[in-house]
Amino acid sequence: MDRIDLVYRVLDEQLVDVDGRRCGRVDDLEFEGDIGDPPRLHAILSGSGTWHRRLPRPLRAFGERIFGVGVSGRDVIHVPWTQVDDISSVVRLKVKARELGLGQGDERNAMLVGKLPKS
Amino acid sequence: MKKIFQVALGIIAAIGGFVDIGELVFNTQAGADFRYQLLWAVPVGVLGIIVFAEMTGRVAAVSGRPVFDVVRMRMGLNVGLVTLVASLLINLITLAAEVGGAALVLQLLFDVNVSTLILLSVMALVVIVYFVPFGGIERIFGYLGCALLVYVAAAVHLKPDWHQVGRGLVPSWHPSALYAYFLVGVIGAALVPYEVYFYSSGAIEERWTLRDLNLNRANAFLGFALGGILSIALIVVSGEVFFGPHIQPGYLGTTALGAQHAYGEVGLLLALLGMLFAVGGAAVECAFSGAYTLAQFAGWEWGKYRRPHDAPRFTLAWLTFFALAFVVVETGVDPVLLTEYAVIFSVVALPLTYLPVLLIARDRTFMGDHANGLVGNGLGWLYFAILLVVSLAAIPLTLITAAGSH
Repeated sequence: MDRIDLVYRVLDEQLVDVDGRRCGRVDDLEFEGDIGDPPRLHAILSGSGTWHRRLPRPLRAFGERIFGVGVSGRDVIHVPWTQVDDISSVVRLKVKARELGLGQGDERNAMLVGKLPKS
Repeated sequence: MKKIFQVALGIIAAIGGFVDIGELVFNTQAGADFRYQLLWAVPVGVLGIIVFAEMTGRVAAVSGRPVFDVVRMRMGLNVGLVTLVASLLINLITLAAEVGGAALVLQLLFDVNVSTLILLSVMALVVIVYFVPFGGIERIFGYLGCALLVYVAAAVHLKPDWHQVGRGLVPSWHPSALYAYFLVGVIGAALVPYEVYFYSSGAIEERWTLRDLNLNRANAFLGFALGGILSIALIVVSGEVFFGPHIQPGYLGTTALGAQHAYGEVGLLLALLGMLFAVGGAAVECAFSGAYTLAQFAGWEWGKYRRPHDAPRFTLAWLTFFALAFVVVETGVDPVLLTEYAVIFSVVALPLTYLPVLLIARDRTFMGDHANGLVGNGLGWLYFAILLVVSLAAIPLTLITAAGSH
């Protein structure tokens, strides 16, 4: 792939799974690598548990209470960069959202909405 | 031929769907207080919404991005969150005003307790939205809202001084805070952001592609411009009927009396029917817009084209919006007052959603050959400047004039 500006083209973009289901946003990016070594993009982080870290410093404690502290697998989902299939107007994934733990909120509420008529 | 017919139907729906409680309140008051002197604010606001809506429709068709997708992506999380919270609150106030307005119109028609009518209005809207497909909803309210065209007929029938009307369409200035307040209000009533969120998300719902760019232009230019004629007619009728005898149309029903003055009972009934479907349609757009903004910002699955079970948080969001609006209106707050605050706060927050759309619409990385040209950019930045001025003036003017009361 050509050079890509991660903040311009990836951060805050819509995540869509292999079935075309919208399943979250690119809320943060995780890099790995030792100090002095070139950093490598390791994973996309998705979930409101990352939001407090991006707020202005005085608002972070408040943000933790509102959006969650960032519990992996619950309010933050790690999406390995290797699972990204394509970047266009969305970030398309190679697998189903469920396999990565994405879209849990929709799945929880689907039970409730499923009880409505013609749902 | 079929395509032309479809475009024509879309335009008719856009005309009927253009006017909402904001125009019914602000334009009638502007006509009553200043006769034709604020007519020029209508084309300023209408051209603004044409520019904004055309860009959002084009961005949706070309890049597949609705407004709040663009807000999140271009403005980032922090400014995006501020925009989201402001938009959700404004949507809720507007929805409450529209629901309250629908109940007031029903009360004039059926003389039943207003509290019961609020409940019935919300229930009817929820049932229609839940069971009728997207295109059907747009058309039911759009076509029946066209009954408001009685105001255009009334404006001609009342034989206004056309020379004065023409002079009203030329920008003028009066050194009065009340004049400036209604100037902001009339521009703001035409430029309500929920219509644009709904329009752009609707383009995604209807799976617009590059082939729909002409449809986008037709809807935006013709639909909104012809809708603007209704807006002008409201001011002209109000200027003819209420300005002379110094009648203050502080009650929504007073607006309908303008049509009655021209055509008697038939005029009154058409006006009330048109108002009912105009505010009902606007209520649906508001509830959906709230759910669209929330879902797009957070990345949830959304869309009326999905079964409720497949977009559950989106479905719960619009249902919750109706429930919250119901609670707000049942407190007994005056829908006319709610409308004024909704329009003023919309104006204040408007640059926050307008700027990211403009930035994307002119960006060739995302839009390719369909990015704004010279004229599009010129108009885009001109309106951004106008919106900034109007946005900064809105709150001080509201405080100075006590929301238009002196």
